[in-house]
Amino acid sequence: MPVSLPFARRRALAAMALLAAAIAWPAAAEEPKRGGTLVFGSTQSPRHLNGAVQSGIATALPSTQLFASPLRFDDKWNAQPYLAESWSLAPDGKSLTLNLRRGAVFHDGKPITSEDVAFSIMAIKANHPFTTMLGPVEKVETPDAQTAIIRMSTPHPAIVLAMSPALCPILPKHVYGDGQDLKSHPRNSTNVVGSGPFRLVEFKPGQRVVMERFDKFFIAGRPYLDKLIMNITPDTSSLMLSLERGDLQMLPFASVPTDLQRLAKNPQVQLTPAGYEGIGALNWLAFNLTKKPLSDVKVRKAIAHTLDKNFISKALMAGFAKPADGPIVASSPFAVNDLVRYPVDLKKAVELLDAAGYKAGANGERFKLSIDYLPGADDQQKTVAEYIRTQLKKVGIAVEVRTSADFPAWAKRMATKDFDMSMDSVFNWGDPVIGVHRTYLSTNIKPIVWTNTQSYSNPQIDDLLNTAGGLLDPVKRKAYYATFQKVVTDELPIVFINQIPYHTAASKKLANVPTSIWGPMSPYDEVHFK
Amino acid sequence: MNMTRTLLSRLLQGLALVLAVVVLNFLLVHAAPGDPVETIAGASGGMSDELKAQLRSQYGLDQPLPVQLGIYLGKIVQGDLGFSYFFNLPVAGLIAERIPATLLLVVSAVLAAFVIGTTLGVLSARKPNGLLSQTITVLSLVGFAAPVFWTGIMLVILLASVWPIFPVSGLRSIDATGGGGARDMLDVLHHLVLPALTLGLVYLAQYSRLARASMLDVLGADYIRTARAKGLSNRVVLYKHALRNAVLPVVTILGLQFGNVMAGAILVETVFNWPGLGRLAFEAVLRRDYPSVLGVLLFSSIVVVVMNQLTDLCYRLIDPRIKTS
Amino acid sequence: MSQPVPIPRRTPPLRAVPAGVPLAAIEPAPPVKVENPTVEALRMFARNPSAIAGMLMLAAVLLVAIAGPWLYPADPFEIRAAPMTPPLNEDAWLGTDYLGRDVLTTLIYGGRATLLVGAVAALLSVLIGISVGALAGFYGGPVDKLLMRVTEFFQVLPALLFAMVVVTLFSPTLVTVTLAIGVVSWTGTARLTRAEFMRFRDLEFVRAERSIGARDARLIWKVILPNALPPLVVSATLAVGAAILFEAGLSFLGLGDPNQMSWGLMIGSSRQYVLSTWWAVAFPGAAIFVTVLAVSLIGDGLNDALNPKLRER
Repeated sequence: MPVSLPFARRRALAAMALLAAAIAWPAAAEEPKRGGTLVFGSTQSPRHLNGAVQSGIATALPSTQLFASPLRFDDKWNAQPYLAESWSLAPDGKSLTLNLRRGAVFHDGKPITSEDVAFSIMAIKANHPFTTMLGPVEKVETPDAQTAIIRMSTPHPAIVLAMSPALCPILPKHVYGDGQDLKSHPRNSTNVVGSGPFRLVEFKPGQRVVMERFDKFFIAGRPYLDKLIMNITPDTSSLMLSLERGDLQMLPFASVPTDLQRLAKNPQVQLTPAGYEGIGALNWLAFNLTKKPLSDVKVRKAIAHTLDKNFISKALMAGFAKPADGPIVASSPFAVNDLVRYPVDLKKAVELLDAAGYKAGANGERFKLSIDYLPGADDQQKTVAEYIRTQLKKVGIAVEVRTSADFPAWAKRMATKDFDMSMDSVFNWGDPVIGVHRTYLSTNIKPIVWTNTQSYSNPQIDDLLNTAGGLLDPVKRKAYYATFQKVVTDELPIVFINQIPYHTAASKKLANVPTSIWGPMSPYDEVHFK
Repeated sequence: MNMTRTLLSRLLQGLALVLAVVVLNFLLVHAAPGDPVETIAGASGGMSDELKAQLRSQYGLDQPLPVQLGIYLGKIVQGDLGFSYFFNLPVAGLIAERIPATLLLVVSAVLAAFVIGTTLGVLSARKPNGLLSQTITVLSLVGFAAPVFWTGIMLVILLASVWPIFPVSGLRSIDATGGGGARDMLDVLHHLVLPALTLGLVYLAQYSRLARASMLDVLGADYIRTARAKGLSNRVVLYKHALRNAVLPVVTILGLQFGNVMAGAILVETVFNWPGLGRLAFEAVLRRDYPSVLGVLLFSSIVVVVMNQLTDLCYRLIDPRIKTS
Repeated sequence: MSQPVPIPRRTPPLRAVPAGVPLAAIEPAPPVKVENPTVEALRMFARNPSAIAGMLMLAAVLLVAIAGPWLYPADPFEIRAAPMTPPLNEDAWLGTDYLGRDVLTTLIYGGRATLLVGAVAALLSVLIGISVGALAGFYGGPVDKLLMRVTEFFQVLPALLFAMVVVTLFSPTLVTVTLAIGVVSWTGTARLTRAEFMRFRDLEFVRAERSIGARDARLIWKVILPNALPPLVVSATLAVGAAILFEAGLSFLGLGDPNQMSWGLMIGSSRQYVLSTWWAVAFPGAAIFVTVLAVSLIGDGLNDALNPKLRER
């Protein structure tokens, strides 16, 4: 309008404009800030960066940044699209169809197709240590470049969780398909070409991994961060100090109780236990059932009754660790509460030992046992082993704590059954088929660590587990697992002690700290600085 | 010339020594209980027997011992130190990457100890029973008798925690990108102070004690008096005779210390998380990463042999009277 | 490597002779009372204040290590009080470590393993060293050459790294640790012994013994060795200090016997928590320091006491 507005009207208009801006402003501020370098720390040193042929946290941390997987998961165990924009599990559970995004490319610009997915899945099946994960997979069909159909010989609902970032990195066939053995492929550590939100800049073995944003990542606008640096330092106290000083902005897998106490008190640090439901990390005492007197369940129950899990949790782990009572971690959808429990009761322990026929000698000693523990995690393993020694002394069992000089020494003892009892840390890895079955199946009694090293053999359990692995209906599955948990806690091949209190500590300036069920072992494409 | 011939024979002797060290360690490491394939199997979370057998044949572990040794020696001569079992990267590369850090640490420590220690020692020789002398003796004793890892930790508590003047660990700041510019060098120097101080304290004791004893004895010795009696000026006396003979034991110590570098390096690098050879060696031992362990042993032995030869050379140059065995 | 030049010792000052006085007119020096050299040495030792301090310190340490566990029975591995309590509280005078173990108890009990390993490993290294050095110095020639090659070989070997490898391969126990330390530490003693034996081999009284038909073994063990003992005793004393530090280092790295409480083990296991429990690291380290210091002072005192005698013979 060519006529100029009277003064009052102008003021009203200006006020309205300001109001409109005020309403729009927060919406604009919600747009995450781009940029910045996130430095995170780890005490474990990855051998290389390819999670398709290597399990474990150390490799998963960088591998999930460099490689994308078909699916990712939220904090409620729901699968979310990632490299696959949609997927469907066939009603008979014997095939999983993945529909890949269009236009996704590897770090060298070449397109990601179903050929690469097929190649990767078969490579994982052939090389990854978790054999049950893709056990029934027979082949992967690729009717077109955007579709991959995984065909399995039996129903295998675990296949969905097997598509997680830590377990199913998609490798470029044109790099890794050259015939060399994938486990020792040179491109695992140098010149890594991946499919994930970050690309590799530098890998200094034993020291650091430097990654930077991949501009052509298939989710537009992500990742927000410019750079990622994974700093490898063997002792947590240095990492802690660096976090406090601000040199480090995130410390995943923090579990040392004294560190957690310090971090909890720090006003500039946010500490969360969320993000570790998927990994399901348990700390437990395993028995060698081939050795007397541990072959007698009464003796095992007696030992269970000497342990005060509340003391362990409160005193030894400063209250950060939750006691565990069963083989499936409490945060799993398959965990139940109806378990056989063993409250601390030294009198009952003595009764059980007497009933089992092991009377105390003149010096009060009934028999001797040795206890081993996994080296390198003293706050979880060694402290508990020494506590167990003290407690068992009170009921007449003399315990020798055997320290293994290093991991191979301990692994050898376990593998060759050269142990009476041993502390151990074992992970559920999401679906029980992946990380739980291996400990209890009688077919998995092998001379390797983290198999059924206890020599536990119960045909009923074998049946339950094998059936549960093939049922598609989660309710039916859970029923089977419920029985399984009840029986195992009654037969006690293992005394479950606590959930490993993994926490992620991060600077308060960091937003969207990864807290899905896989936590830090998922891509950091949504993480940004405030 | 006689010198060249001696040098050559010394060189051959040195090589034979290094070879013997390598052979012994190879045999020891392979003939003892424990198996690298188990480590890799464990690190991978478990492995089937077929896979293990495959790995064994890949690494040549299923061959008879003498054959393995022969292959290994053949490769060494060509400069190939094998591949790390753990990282699957060339050992020579891993070692080369870590040498600068250890070199920096050791050289700074020894230099600092030498300069400071000798000065303190000479100073305290002037007034052998004065207060300064006593204090210096006490200080040197601390460096000498206290375990090096303990002094390191104490220094960290004092100077990196209570008074956070220095960083706690590492070679660089965590988010540093390196590069070698002025800023990077300052960062490295800042990180170098505590580790070098810790390692240096051990050597300091030896230098100051030595310098003190040397100066005291030499100043009172016969041939000094003879030289003085001959009427030579004080200066000449000092430089030509006293210093020369006082320097010899110092040279010995220098040579010996470089020979024993690994022990101090392993402990200090562990305390300060210094990315050097010592830490590499320690971690490799724990992982049963035999090629890396053997590589470091080989390298360390070569350094010792070279330092020994250099020390001998210095002796002959400084004092031709000395008959070397 | 060649033998280092010994540091020249202060020789007694020349007596001033006035010019022009005939030699005969000068009174001969009064006869020096020749005492038993051992007594003389002990006297010199007793006059040395730092040596006495060393003896006292060592005596204190030994007393605590030997009598302590008897007077103060406890289990050093037992969880005594709340973890990480600072010192000066009624349950644990010197505080507790990250597990709740009493630091004072570990000090008392830790001495045993440390001192035992130190003493036995030193003994082992001295025995090996003396044997090798004696044979090399006495026989000379090809035997000497061979033994010297062996000595050089062990000298070139990086001691700590080699011990780590041995201990890791054969699993760490008190025995393996002691053996490992003993096997890598003998070269210094060997060289010293060899030098002494070479010096003595050609002396008058040895030649005399030989001419009357004494056998080699007798010459080595009964004739030369007793005379060569003084510097070897000093070397042995210093070897104890070195062995103690060596054991502490191995335990710190986590390679000592884990079922024996030792000071090094305490420091190593508490290292991760040092910022919260500095006392668990400070006190055991101080204990090692005092022990090694004591041994070194004694060694120095012995050196001063025994060596001048050597020169004047």
